[in-house]
Amino acid sequence: MPENSSPKRPKLAWEPPFIQPHRVGEINKFGRHRPREARVASVFGVDVELLKKNYGSPLFVTSEERLRANVRRIKKAFAVRWGNTCHGWSYKTNYISAVCNILHQEGSLAEVVSAFEYEKARALGVPGEMIIFNGPNKGRAILERAVAEGAQIHLDHLDELNLVEAVAAAQGRKARVALRLNFDTGYSEPWSRFGFNLESGQARQAAKLAAASPHLQLCGLHSHLGTFILEPRAYGEQVKIMCKFMREIESSEDVQIDVIDIGGGLPSMNALQSIYLPPEQVVPSINEYAEVICGTLIEETRYRSHTNRGLPKLVFESGRAVVDDAQVLITSVVGTKRLPDGRAAAVLDAGTNLLFTAYWYNHKVETTGEARGALADTVLFGPLCMNIDVVRQSVQLPPLRAGDSLVVSPVGAYNNSQWMQFIEYRPNVVLVHEDGDVSVIRAAEDLSVMMAQDRLPEHLATPFAPVRGAGCNRFDAEAEKQAKTLRPFRICRG
Amino acid sequence: MTDSLLAGALSQCSGDRLRQLAVSDTGFVFDPQTGQSFTVNATGRLVLDCLKRSDGLEEAAQCLAEDCDVPLELALSSVEAFLMQLGRYL
Repeated sequence: MPENSSPKRPKLAWEPPFIQPHRVGEINKFGRHRPREARVASVFGVDVELLKKNYGSPLFVTSEERLRANVRRIKKAFAVRWGNTCHGWSYKTNYISAVCNILHQEGSLAEVVSAFEYEKARALGVPGEMIIFNGPNKGRAILERAVAEGAQIHLDHLDELNLVEAVAAAQGRKARVALRLNFDTGYSEPWSRFGFNLESGQARQAAKLAAASPHLQLCGLHSHLGTFILEPRAYGEQVKIMCKFMREIESSEDVQIDVIDIGGGLPSMNALQSIYLPPEQVVPSINEYAEVICGTLIEETRYRSHTNRGLPKLVFESGRAVVDDAQVLITSVVGTKRLPDGRAAAVLDAGTNLLFTAYWYNHKVETTGEARGALADTVLFGPLCMNIDVVRQSVQLPPLRAGDSLVVSPVGAYNNSQWMQFIEYRPNVVLVHEDGDVSVIRAAEDLSVMMAQDRLPEHLATPFAPVRGAGCNRFDAEAEKQAKTLRPFRICRG
Repeated sequence: MTDSLLAGALSQCSGDRLRQLAVSDTGFVFDPQTGQSFTVNATGRLVLDCLKRSDGLEEAAQCLAEDCDVPLELALSSVEAFLMQLGRYL
């Protein structure tokens, strides 16, 4: 072909050829809109690409404004219906110190479930008397501290009751305790492994023992229905059962119950994989929960106006509903591929190592760039060398390219606490302040973090050193000589 | 991909059948025989154009490889997969 005979056609960006049938008129029993590409250029008012440039990818972005607004809204929903209420921030939902202290600034107690969490709350400056100490494993040492510092200890089993009594007796104090109860509301699977069972009489026995002890002040009742409870009436039944038990033990024992703690379990606007309908259609508003809970509480404590007993404080320990939508994850496409079944797929730099909740949620995934073509069923894989590392099994996305940014949300609950130090470093977590400034609230890990807790015995200090001992490893001068060359194999002679 | 599968797909996607398809510049595809419509991506449109001109599988792959600057083997296997897809829909 002669030169300059025709200009060369512009090259196409490589993508495997693909054709997708239109599903026009397909029955949609869920009342959803047809999928449309969800695109965002910024998160919490800050440009996504700027965040990536400054803090890297992947990146957790947290909103102080959203977090404060969430907890205020939830607290208000309860406070306007039952004056004496208090929120306990469930530490396990998100351990980031800045997150915890934002909520403490909003007046939330610390609800902790282990020695680590107790020590963390104290290290952040939370006074002992503002800590609810929950959980099934409280060792003697941490109980000694909690009793001395006046924390409210929620008893899980009889051995713990005896231990707390012994600790308080040794200190000459009276420990403030609450009984954790479990029972069947008929709405959700009972979490019978925690606390004292009501139907079997265990709870009554524990109340009797606690009431009789000179070193325990039984001041509260606590129960936790479960997680992501979508039926407000379940809480109504819970409150009813707890109030009935309160009345029983107050009439039979010398106790005054000041606290009814209904635990957590309120859902967030996230999409559980087991539920077909979108969260906007299945998650009741916080006001619906507050209405049922406080309405039942008013009804079930009406008798107290005829007695000298005051009304109990209502404590709720919402974690997920407070923090989930206050955080998003920015992740980048590392590469794309077409699976043998025709589906598009992308490998991301964030997977289930960072998004533990991807195992049970279908997180919302938004693109950030310009519109680029028709949506197609796409699988999003994480960076781990494990087949189960899937962020989304199926999501409608436009054609992706390496380097593209995706915004995954909501991710504020249980990811910054259940993430794994596995294969990859954990990334920066930043906070968008109320004035729009951005700061790192948890620095990205590096090798020094990953190796900080390792200890090498002296004889293992050097790799490829000659090995003395039995078996096939025989040490001799020649082997030692070879070892000094640091050749990458184990010396095994003879 | 097995030869028999590919042969089946090729017979489904004969030149006449493909020439019936209306393909717009933006990748909208209409099949007047079934009333079904599709969206095809840019590389798919290129391959469709080649196949509608009665180019063979190899020619279409060559065209794709040149326009996208990818190895011929990659383009060939992608065109085969594309043909399998067409075979399912047409």
